[in-house]
Amino acid sequence: MLADDMACNARNEYPAQVFNNENHKLNLYGDNVEVDYRGYEVTVENFLRVLTGRHENAVPRSKRLLSDEGSHILLYMTGHGGDEFLKFQDAEELQSHDLADAVKQMKEKRRFKELMIMVDTCQAATLFNQLQSPGVLAIGSSLKGENSYSHHLDSDIGVSVVDRFTYYTLAFFERLNIYDNASLNSLFRSYDPRLLMSTAYYRTDLYQPHLVEVPVTNFFGSVMETIHTNSAYKAFSSKISNSKSNPEMPLNQLSEHDANIPNDELKNEKQKCPYSQMRADLHKKLEKLENVDTVVNLSIAVMVVVVMVSSSLLR
Amino acid sequence: TKEEKKDDGVMAEEEPCMFWIWAMASTIFRLFLIFFFPENINASSRPELSTPLTSLRRLAEGYWLKQSSLSPYAGSMYHGSPLLLSILGPLTIQRIEGKSSHHLCSLVFVIADILSALLLRATGQKLQKAYRLNLRRLGLLTSLQDRGILPCGDIAALVHLWNPFTILSCVGLSTSPIENLAVIQLLEKVFLSILDENPAFGRVPLAAFGLVMATHLSLYSATLAIPLIFLLGYGLDAPPVKKFLQTRHVGVETTGSTSDVSKQDKLTQTTQLFLWRTVLYFVFWVLVWSSYVLVLCSLSLKQYGGLEEMFKRTYGFILRIEDLSPNIGVFWYFFAEVFDFSRNYLLIVFNLYILLTGIPPLAFRLKHRPCFLAFAYLAFSSILKSYPSVGDAALYLSLWALFVNELTDMEHSFFIFCGYIGFSLLSPVMHNIWIWRGTGNANFYFGNAMGYACFQYMFVEKSVNAMLNHDQALKKATSEMTKN
Repeated sequence: MLADDMACNARNEYPAQVFNNENHKLNLYGDNVEVDYRGYEVTVENFLRVLTGRHENAVPRSKRLLSDEGSHILLYMTGHGGDEFLKFQDAEELQSHDLADAVKQMKEKRRFKELMIMVDTCQAATLFNQLQSPGVLAIGSSLKGENSYSHHLDSDIGVSVVDRFTYYTLAFFERLNIYDNASLNSLFRSYDPRLLMSTAYYRTDLYQPHLVEVPVTNFFGSVMETIHTNSAYKAFSSKISNSKSNPEMPLNQLSEHDANIPNDELKNEKQKCPYSQMRADLHKKLEKLENVDTVVNLSIAVMVVVVMVSSSLLR
Repeated sequence: TKEEKKDDGVMAEEEPCMFWIWAMASTIFRLFLIFFFPENINASSRPELSTPLTSLRRLAEGYWLKQSSLSPYAGSMYHGSPLLLSILGPLTIQRIEGKSSHHLCSLVFVIADILSALLLRATGQKLQKAYRLNLRRLGLLTSLQDRGILPCGDIAALVHLWNPFTILSCVGLSTSPIENLAVIQLLEKVFLSILDENPAFGRVPLAAFGLVMATHLSLYSATLAIPLIFLLGYGLDAPPVKKFLQTRHVGVETTGSTSDVSKQDKLTQTTQLFLWRTVLYFVFWVLVWSSYVLVLCSLSLKQYGGLEEMFKRTYGFILRIEDLSPNIGVFWYFFAEVFDFSRNYLLIVFNLYILLTGIPPLAFRLKHRPCFLAFAYLAFSSILKSYPSVGDAALYLSLWALFVNELTDMEHSFFIFCGYIGFSLLSPVMHNIWIWRGTGNANFYFGNAMGYACFQYMFVEKSVNAMLNHDQALKKATSEMTKN
């Protein structure tokens, strides 16, 4: 749900692109991003309808939360907020009671197994004060009476592009690699109040499992980016060897340059292994060889001619 | 020897006219079949004719993949040599105007068949000469112009040209003619100077080249290395020397002259010597040629995985029997129902079966007849190949015809002949019943394949028996002659 679709804003200098950093490295509005509710559709009513599943019949499946009793749901909310409310569209607000009621309905209708609420607004921790349903984990970027701040300004676009809490959350995930198996506990411990300039407060009384045992991937799924390549079939093991042979070449070139400097030790080293240098030269020539097929055909023809000539001579 | 050559020339003059007429007729027949009935035969879709190894459609696919900068072995379609791809590949693309099927390639196969026939003829003529020489040495041949000895070269060449199996595999868009040509030229190359007393070292590199090319195109031709080594070591096909010299020795002793005995001793020393030097030279040249071929292959497959990929997809494919589509062999049915955990074990068993039960016993028994040993190996491996086709049958039947002189007394030849015809006619019928009509099942086709394998096996067994009986008969005749 994007109330202001900034990527499609007329004042956006980079149309259809939203960045979370001034280095513009990552475009958050990529091909695999799906926005179901945008602009005027983002209302408290629609939000509660999505959560509870009470849609009209005409609402398409892409706009429904199709979850069941085994689902893990991540609910991330950001924007302007205050004591027990979150602002929607500058016109209405979502209150903590409404959120708690919606979550209670979801639990009654068994629409989730575990729910994680992450709020990045001013006084965010007050938004989940009223929650009572079991299986809910909530974290907010600031306590009552604290503000949450933005991280940095992108002078190219003219606005701040990311909030501090979100920025450090993303930084945590950037540091992970695929085998780390980080737990939620490590995520929550990574928030430094001095860097955030607010206290990130989380609530675990409704959540039964220990945070140390819960992997972050329970809630933070990954959307894989597929890279289209030309090789339709399995890649070969010798690709590694090809890429290994390439760095050999500049090394040899380097050593040749060094040999120009009157340095006896380098020359001795080169003379020690002429075989490897021969192989490197051969590799260079083979790399330059563009039309391998003609070479192969010529060699076959040469072989056949030699055999026929010699057999006729010996007859 | 001058007289011999004259006599051979006189005899040979009448024969070539008939031979060339028949050869031309078969060529015209093939061209007729290629240009006028390509769709009716529908040969390329018949499993008896085109196997995953020899199918021309797969070669065309491999060539197209190579042109699209993919590996030619991608997708497990093409499983042959990359060199064959560079030779035949461009031909599969060019088409004669108005025609749809691979005519140019079929023309290449026709030329390959003709070349095979000519090489067979040359081989047969040398064999015939050798046979005559041996008989004269043993004192069994009285007159030089003995019409009893059939011109096995001409007969073998004509059998090769008119064998329905060869015609079908030539027309049937499979690369078997080229593989057969490789094997036949291998045998021919070794012969041309074996007849001289001193093994000519010039022949050995060519023989090594022949072996390397034959093995490169089809794996099972590697078994021909053993007959080749025997050829180079012992010399041409001859009756077993030991027996005859023993009987002669006995015969000479009865006359009682000491000078003859010493002459015989010298003979035993020279003719029983296994020429190790030639064999080592041969092995050296095999290594040289195989490294040349492997370098060429690795060049052409540089970007697609190199030699490892080639070995995995060609020889690995053959040995691991990856493709289980039906053919006239006996493995596909078995491996379709074998459990996964026993698959590796059974692969080892079946591959070792050829190596252990086929090769050493025949080598021990037939080491004095290397050319016949080559035929026996080819026939045996065509029964137990991973993907046999009628092209293999064509090859060993033509080689069998080289030995008509020795195999005249083959038992049950008519029965086996009828069996061959029956099973090869029933095979497309069973295939049709099973696949197209659905009124039969795989057991029909497999039963046919088993019967065909049985008859092939009987054929090899009877031929070997006949050859050994022939040697026995020769020994009897010489001992009788020396007694008289």
